[in-house]
Amino acid sequence: MGERELIGLIGFLSLFGLLALRVPVGLAMILVGITGNYALSLVAPFLRFEPYLRQFKTLLWNTVASYDLSVVPLFILMGFLASEANLSRDLFQGIRAMIGRLRGGVAMAAVGACGCFGAVCGSSLATAATMGRVALPELKAMRYSPRLSTGVLAAGGTLGILIPPSVALVLYATVVEASIIEMFQAAIVPGILAMAFFVIVVAVYVRVLPQSAPPAEAMAGPAVRRAIWRLIPVLLIFGAIILGLGAGLYTPTPAAAIGVFAILAYAVALRLITGEGLTWRGFKAALLNTAVISGMIYFILFGAEVLETFFARSNLPAMLADSVLASGIEPWTLLIVVLLLLIVLGMFMESLSMILVVVPFLWPALEAINGGAFVGAVDAAFGMTTDDLKVWFGILALIVVELGLITPPVGLNVFIISSLSKDVAMRDTFIGVMPFFCVELIRVALILAVPVLALGLPAWLS
Amino acid sequence: MPILRDVLGRIATVWALLGGAILMTIVLATVFNVGALAVARVLAPLGLGPSGVAGYDDFVRLLVSAAALMLFPYCQLQRGHVAVDLLFDRFSARLQRRLETLWLLAMAAVAAFLFYWMVQGMLDARSFGTVAAVLGWAEWPFYLPGLLSVALWAAVALNDAVLSARGLNGQGRTELSKAESTAGPAPLPDGGQNG
Repeated sequence: MGERELIGLIGFLSLFGLLALRVPVGLAMILVGITGNYALSLVAPFLRFEPYLRQFKTLLWNTVASYDLSVVPLFILMGFLASEANLSRDLFQGIRAMIGRLRGGVAMAAVGACGCFGAVCGSSLATAATMGRVALPELKAMRYSPRLSTGVLAAGGTLGILIPPSVALVLYATVVEASIIEMFQAAIVPGILAMAFFVIVVAVYVRVLPQSAPPAEAMAGPAVRRAIWRLIPVLLIFGAIILGLGAGLYTPTPAAAIGVFAILAYAVALRLITGEGLTWRGFKAALLNTAVISGMIYFILFGAEVLETFFARSNLPAMLADSVLASGIEPWTLLIVVLLLLIVLGMFMESLSMILVVVPFLWPALEAINGGAFVGAVDAAFGMTTDDLKVWFGILALIVVELGLITPPVGLNVFIISSLSKDVAMRDTFIGVMPFFCVELIRVALILAVPVLALGLPAWLS
Repeated sequence: MPILRDVLGRIATVWALLGGAILMTIVLATVFNVGALAVARVLAPLGLGPSGVAGYDDFVRLLVSAAALMLFPYCQLQRGHVAVDLLFDRFSARLQRRLETLWLLAMAAVAAFLFYWMVQGMLDARSFGTVAAVLGWAEWPFYLPGLLSVALWAAVALNDAVLSARGLNGQGRTELSKAESTAGPAPLPDGGQNG
């Protein structure tokens, strides 16, 4: 290992040291990036520091002045508007009206609502918090077992990351230079699979433990009609966005903007007609909450740009890739090690930061072991081109990153649901989440064994 | 200083709402653009109708450059930047406060550093006559909202660092918002704010 690579490694370790000291992720990336580049200029004089500094004239502006990334604040705004207009509640009540009479139906409705709302909202933690507030009181009133109630909501929060539109998918595609549309398309089948698996888990759970979900009383006719009537526009808006993006009918920025407009128009109409929907105060809250989340994401994106330059100049990712090749490690072993590493990191780190911190570092090794950027599917270690590998690995990585949110002992989604249900011990929530955790592992294994689950739809649609 | 935080807080809030208004402008421009394209497609066989709005991508890119940076000061005000609570909770309260002050100072320094270089970037863009590819609009004026935002961001972080050093930055944080801030703030369905 040369001096440059050593500095890169020290920088990488320092980054995690700073993160452990609770330095904001974006700030830690910038501090390591700039300091690291200064250190590199000392050991390698051709990597001059002053010209490097001059790139900051335009780096921040160019990072935010991106047409592709303009979807980030728009998708986030769409999610907050939906939340402020209580569309999450309409989703849950509508699905509940349709399937609530089934044994375990209210928990299944929570899964469906989590999937739809999570897709639009884009944040697992936000989905868990929002749907937890909407569905937990209902599940409690229906005398569902605390383990099932909290487990299904903590796990349900993880559903949104894969269902388009997902900010995480956009960021991953940006990091590895993959097509955003292809990523959206690839995510649809695994996303639907997750929802189907969760519903099956609930069905099996209540069959094995019937006392965990007493039969629900039928909702009154007018209440059912009202709930379904309110569900239809929400499903139409969400469905048009999700399916249109997935099918590649429109590109992400127009989809996000039209989504914001449609939700806003519906929420205002609801307000004018029924007195519910979006208030002026709610609209302001949506804008301000968008400011917080978008500011956070843009700052991390900028930090990732700074850090990426440092790592590229240190040559560390390339050296890591060479070392992986020289070690003779089996490609599948490497992939599984990487996925396990992501699960562990996902317990502590928020998924978007992890994608931006870890993926750029790991991706070159996977690309190298597959046979390089231009390898054909026949000669590739994973039996697919590197472009397909980007998509397949992205789907797997996003699933396991989210798995960290429900993995004991530090699953953040479980913490959020626990904070909303003080009368349920956290241990019970972790026990309740375990069946969902297990089917998530099965889903990962399925997508590993049958890559066409992720790659089939983009190939078919192209 | 708490009074200054109140003043900065109000400015950052209004600034973020203006950023939100720019986002809404993008939304309306997109609706108009998509509508125009749809009409153009319907009327094309007749040789009538508008063509697509030229320079839409440029328009979005320039506007979002302003809007995105205008959200930074409010994000800082709400301590919205994501951090990892791995060891931090095990430190003494005093050490936690000192570290917090240090990171806030570092944030203010980074913002000031970026402000300096962005000024240079704007002057370069002006002297080189950099324009958007299709619209042909000069890019340098779009640096201005960004510069004001970065300056405000630095001021908010610096003021919070001073408050933190004096132990005056106690913002009431619920258990939920604390759990969320560990891994990034999340929307609160009742319209509450994070941080």
